[in-house]
Amino acid sequence: MNTIHVNINNIEIPTTADKTILDVCREHKIDIPTMCHLKGLSDVGACRLCIVEIEGMNKLQSACTTKVADHMIIQTNTDRIKKYRRITTELFFAERNHVCSVCVANGKCELQNLGYQVEMDHVRYPFLFPQCEVDTSHPWYVMDHNRCIMCTRCVRVCQEVEGAHNWDVMNRGHAVRIISDFNTPWGESTTCTSCGKCLHACPTGAIWPKAIVQGQLEKKPEIIEELIEKRKMHDGF
Amino acid sequence: MNRLDFHTKIAALQQLDKTKTVQHRIGICCGAGCISSGSEEILKKLESEVQQRGLSEKVEVIPTGCMGPCNHGPLLKHLDQHTIYQKVNCTNITSILQQHVIEQTLIEDQLLFSDSRTNAHADYRADPFFKKQCKIALRNCGKINPESIEAYLLQDGYKALDKALFEYTPEEIIGEIKHSRLRGRGGAGYPTGIKWETVYKYVNNEKYVICNGDEGDPGAFMDRSILEGDPFSVLEGITIAAYAVGASKGYAYIRGEYPLAIKRFESALKQARKWGLLGNQILGSSFHFDLEVRIGAGAFVCGEETALIASIEGKRGTPKPRPPFPAQSGLWGKPTLINNVETFAAIVPIVLKGGEWYSEIGTAKSAGTKVFALAGKVNYAGLIEVPMGTSLREIVFEIGGGMQNQASFKAAQTGGPSGGCIPIEFLDVKMDYESLLSLGSIMGSGGLIIMDEHSDMVDVARFFMEFCMDESCGKCVPCRVGTKMMHDLLQKICINKGTNKDLERLEELALYVKETSLCGLGASAPNPLLSTLRHFRSEYETRIHPSQDTVQDKNQSG
Ligand SMILES: Cc1cc2nc3c(=O)[nH]c(=O)nc-3n(C[C@H](O)[C@H](O)[C@H](O)COP(=O)(O)O)c2cc1C
Ligand code: SF4
Repeated sequence: MNTIHVNINNIEIPTTADKTILDVCREHKIDIPTMCHLKGLSDVGACRLCIVEIEGMNKLQSACTTKVADHMIIQTNTDRIKKYRRITTELFFAERNHVCSVCVANGKCELQNLGYQVEMDHVRYPFLFPQCEVDTSHPWYVMDHNRCIMCTRCVRVCQEVEGAHNWDVMNRGHAVRIISDFNTPWGESTTCTSCGKCLHACPTGAIWPKAIVQGQLEKKPEIIEELIEKRKMHDGF
Repeated sequence: MNRLDFHTKIAALQQLDKTKTVQHRIGICCGAGCISSGSEEILKKLESEVQQRGLSEKVEVIPTGCMGPCNHGPLLKHLDQHTIYQKVNCTNITSILQQHVIEQTLIEDQLLFSDSRTNAHADYRADPFFKKQCKIALRNCGKINPESIEAYLLQDGYKALDKALFEYTPEEIIGEIKHSRLRGRGGAGYPTGIKWETVYKYVNNEKYVICNGDEGDPGAFMDRSILEGDPFSVLEGITIAAYAVGASKGYAYIRGEYPLAIKRFESALKQARKWGLLGNQILGSSFHFDLEVRIGAGAFVCGEETALIASIEGKRGTPKPRPPFPAQSGLWGKPTLINNVETFAAIVPIVLKGGEWYSEIGTAKSAGTKVFALAGKVNYAGLIEVPMGTSLREIVFEIGGGMQNQASFKAAQTGGPSGGCIPIEFLDVKMDYESLLSLGSIMGSGGLIIMDEHSDMVDVARFFMEFCMDESCGKCVPCRVGTKMMHDLLQKICINKGTNKDLERLEELALYVKETSLCGLGASAPNPLLSTLRHFRSEYETRIHPSQDTVQDKNQSG
């Protein structure tokens, strides 16, 4: 593929047109926070954390879904973007019930890290404190909707990698919820293979294995990509 | 049926029409508004009355689409003499038949607008409500039976498709549409010709055309009225579009809340297939095209093109980031043309009369006409179509007959939940895309709500925010959580509990949601708030008590 040139934060970078802005930034260690993106899964542009400014486009674009083009001039870290990333982070925390001190993911949570990254010292919006269910019906795993941020990584990994499509989304607006099958308890699922991929894909403490306590969760989101690479080798792609 | 047979059949139809002995064609409005006030029953009553009196040879009773002045329905129109009677019912219908039709005397106190005008017009076309209008998309609405292809054919129906297929190449049709400067009527106003050309240029043996009839904004009933009143002209427009861009399959996505529109459109499909105007080798040409109806489940977001496409594919109706645009990768990943109902309704007249003709109507940047659903505190509310650039004042005070109960005009809300409010200082604003945008509102799809001095602008902003909050698909954070936060803050201000800090946060959130949301729903959700803040800021400020600031802030930062 032909080499093209993009300019990111005033640095000229040679690359190819099949990549997204996020790919190029990650390759060149340009820091862009993400939440709904997970390497190996399709990109949906939902969390809006990876928004960037592109010269000539009047709208902010999500870096994970926008392909680079020759002579594209991109800014990833302007004051406006920084401000908006912080608001997004605050809204994540205000939306559901994130009590880090009692969370299994404490210290290993992508949302918590995001809070540090965008220097969120406090949340300026009222907490919504919605009533959310904790589904413990599965013999090995727990789904705690209080800590879910609707990134839909579990939905995509289950459908795209495991091929089971146990997870999906129901309702609209701030009433959206992740559901198992047609909104039945996870333990009664007829599609779940109990493979545990969703648990590793989940960025927070929303999906976790039973029999661990606060702060003990070990997640390996990178195994999703490893798995896909291994399969490709196996299938001789 | 090949072209020649088609022409022969049309000629026979016209001949038959000429030999008819009917002298009085009486239209009864069977638009959704009039039906809900009982017009179907009136239609039946009139039909049986005509039968009983043995008048069938002379009088024809015709159910029609929307006639326009909806808040004066049920309406009866003498289609040959151009007289409209208002508020018809099962009792006075017999006296109208007796007096107007048989005795040929005008019933002055039942004429349209007779209760509010000193001299109501016997010929409705002379009334200011109609005089200022220019009906192109609505040309057949309220004039013909929407369920009869014969009636449509007698109004030059399918002449445009015939012309397109045999006298024009696809490039030439696209050229005409570009020349007409028609812009999409679904809200964003994207040039239709350019969109068609983009789809045309993508090489693919599978392309789709979609007609967007989801119309989810509160207060809007333009697309509904067109689909109910003249489904064939939309269908013909879609077929021409398919020929121009090279598609052989189409979908009409109509919202489930419009059962009548769905019924009439499906009946149109059936009749068109029978006449060989849909299906294989249309009119004997090498062009194949067929269309299916898809029924929407009533989510506002499914009107957004990428969500609508997902919905047709059987998926959850949530938007996708663009690019890629549907023109490149739409339904099933194929090049897809998606246009609004009203956009398609304008195609037939453009093909028949030429792009030049259409481009001369309207303003320099917004050509043609726009249909509005005029509602709220005006005397004459209903469905209107005016040239682009008609001033708001003309619409409210001439067409709309001024404000109800002599109240004073306060604001006009355009564009529904994605639009804004125009205050009295800008009553002379020209209704076109650019002028409305410059005032912080948008043309949108054509909802137009007139408000008087009693309207509370903060509450208006709260109402539309609540709508967006409920209708947000929930995919992206700014819209999902941001609209909820903005709604709660507005609610707080509405009950006089707001603080200056709240107002500050509201403004910050509004800009944030506008600039970061994934799709147009979120990006435009703050518009009613921002525009009322711009034009009616004092209404917010008078509700805010600075004394509350310190107390509340302590509570919140904990
Ligand atoms: C939230 C949202 C709702 C929409 N609803 C409609 C609708 O009901 N009808 C419509 O034609 N377009 C609607 N649109 C615009 C469509 O996305 C699309 O632009 C339009 O159908 C294109 O047709 P046009 O070029 O003829 O206007 C909506 C857009 C958004 C963002
Ligand atoms: S802006 Fe709102 S409606 Fe559009 S994708 Fe985001 S959440 Fe869904």
